Amino acid sequence: MVSTVQPRYEFRIFGNNLEKYETKINELSEKEMTRVMDSVYLLTPWKRKHNVKIREGVMDVKVLEHELDGLEQWNPFLVGKFPLKADVIKSVVFPALGIESPVFERKKYSLDQFVNEVVCIDPDLAVAYVWKTRHAYTVNDCITEIAEIKVNGASVKTICVESEDPEKVLEAKKMIGFGKDMENVNYPLALKRIMGLTKLPDYWNKIDF
Amino acid sequence: MSKEKLTIGEASKPRFEFRTFGRDFDNAAYLMSRLSVPVPRKVWERHSEEIYIVSKTNDVNNTKIRDGKMDIKTFVQEVDGLEQWNPLMKGEFPIKAEVLKNEVFPAFKVEGMPELTKDEYTLEEFLGMVNNHPDLQAVSVEKERYGYMVNDTICEYAVVYINGASIVTVNSESTEVEDIKRTISDLELDGVENINYLQAIKRVIGMTDKKLAN
Repeated sequence: MVSTVQPRYEFRIFGNNLEKYETKINELSEKEMTRVMDSVYLLTPWKRKHNVKIREGVMDVKVLEHELDGLEQWNPFLVGKFPLKADVIKSVVFPALGIESPVFERKKYSLDQFVNEVVCIDPDLAVAYVWKTRHAYTVNDCITEIAEIKVNGASVKTICVESEDPEKVLEAKKMIGFGKDMENVNYPLALKRIMGLTKLPDYWNKIDF
Repeated sequence: MSKEKLTIGEASKPRFEFRTFGRDFDNAAYLMSRLSVPVPRKVWERHSEEIYIVSKTNDVNNTKIRDGKMDIKTFVQEVDGLEQWNPLMKGEFPIKAEVLKNEVFPAFKVEGMPELTKDEYTLEEFLGMVNNHPDLQAVSVEKERYGYMVNDTICEYAVVYINGASIVTVNSESTEVEDIKRTISDLELDGVENINYLQAIKRVIGMTDKKLAN
C-alpha cells in the first residue's frame, strides 16, 4: 500500500440545482480540464470512515482521518491493481468495509471474479456503478470540481473544494457562496442515500434539491 | 369488440403499458409532443411525491404510497412485450394490523413478517418496519410528469428523482395493444426494453445488477 497524495481537506455537496454555485465558480476560475471516468464503489449500510472504490481496474481506499470546521480530511492509499490476491482482499479490503471476510476459493481474483463471486453474493455489500464527468477549476488555490455523475444510471451533480490547507478551503467555500450550515456530504454517504442504504435528510428529499 | 375510448386522467379497464427508463429520451419526448392531440390542461404538467416499497424477492406486486394512501398493483400478464397490471389493494394510514398481515406483507413475498402488537400502524411506523426488514426498502420517488395522447394511448414523459437522483421515463398505455405498438414505433422506441417502475427503482438502488435502457 502506497500513499499517493498528501491528505486533503474536502468539502463536497450533491444536488440537482447547483447552478448558482456553478456560475460563481465559473466567474472565479477558468475551466482547466474535463475528464470522464467510471468507478465502482463498494458500500455497506453502516457508517464507516472508509471510501472503497475501483477505478480502471485499481482498487483504492480513502480513510477519513480528521474532521475540522465541517471539512473532512481523507487519506488515500492504493490497495492494488486487479487481479488482487485473496490475502490482500481479506486483510485490507474487508477490514476497510467493516464486515467479516468470506472464505475465498481462489488465491487471486480478477475484477469480474471479485465482483461476481465475492461482492454480489455478500448480503452486507452493495455496489454502485458511478460514471463521472468531472470539470476541474481552481478557486483560492483549492482543487475545485463540478461533476455530473450517474449512479446506477441516475443523474445528480456534485461540487467539491479540496486542499491540504483547511483555511484555504474555508475561504473558497465563502467565495463560492456555500453557506455555513451546508452539509458536507462525501461520496459514500451520497451513494448510500441514493441507494436507500441510509436515511434521506429532508432537504435531500425535495424536488429542488 | 369495440375499442374503449380512453380519457386521459380518468379510470379505465386495466391497461397494457410500455414504459422505459434511461438518461435521455429527448427524441421520443419531442415526437410525443408533436404527435399528441391536445390534452386537458390538468395533465400538462403534474408533480407528485411517492414512496415505493421494493422487495428483493418480489417483482410482481408494485407498492407505492402517495399522500398517506397505499396502492398495490399486481402483474397480470405480458402480451407482445407489454405489461398489464391490475389494482390489488388500496389502503390508508393509519392502517389496520390485519391488513398488513393479510394483504400488504404477503404482497412483498418476503420471509419474516414483523411482529404486530398494535391494532393499527401509522405511515412512520410502517416505514420503520420496512426499513428494519433486510429484504425490503422504502424509496423516495418524485415525479415531474408531462402528459400527452398519441394514437389514442395515454403517453407521458417524466423526470423522476429516485432518492434525489434523476432519470427520465417515457410511456404509452392503453387497453389496446396494437395502439401501443404503433405508438412505440412512432416514437422511434422500437427495440427499447420495457422497464416498469419497480425494475427501474431496483436498478438505481442496486437491488438488481442491470442497466437502464440508455
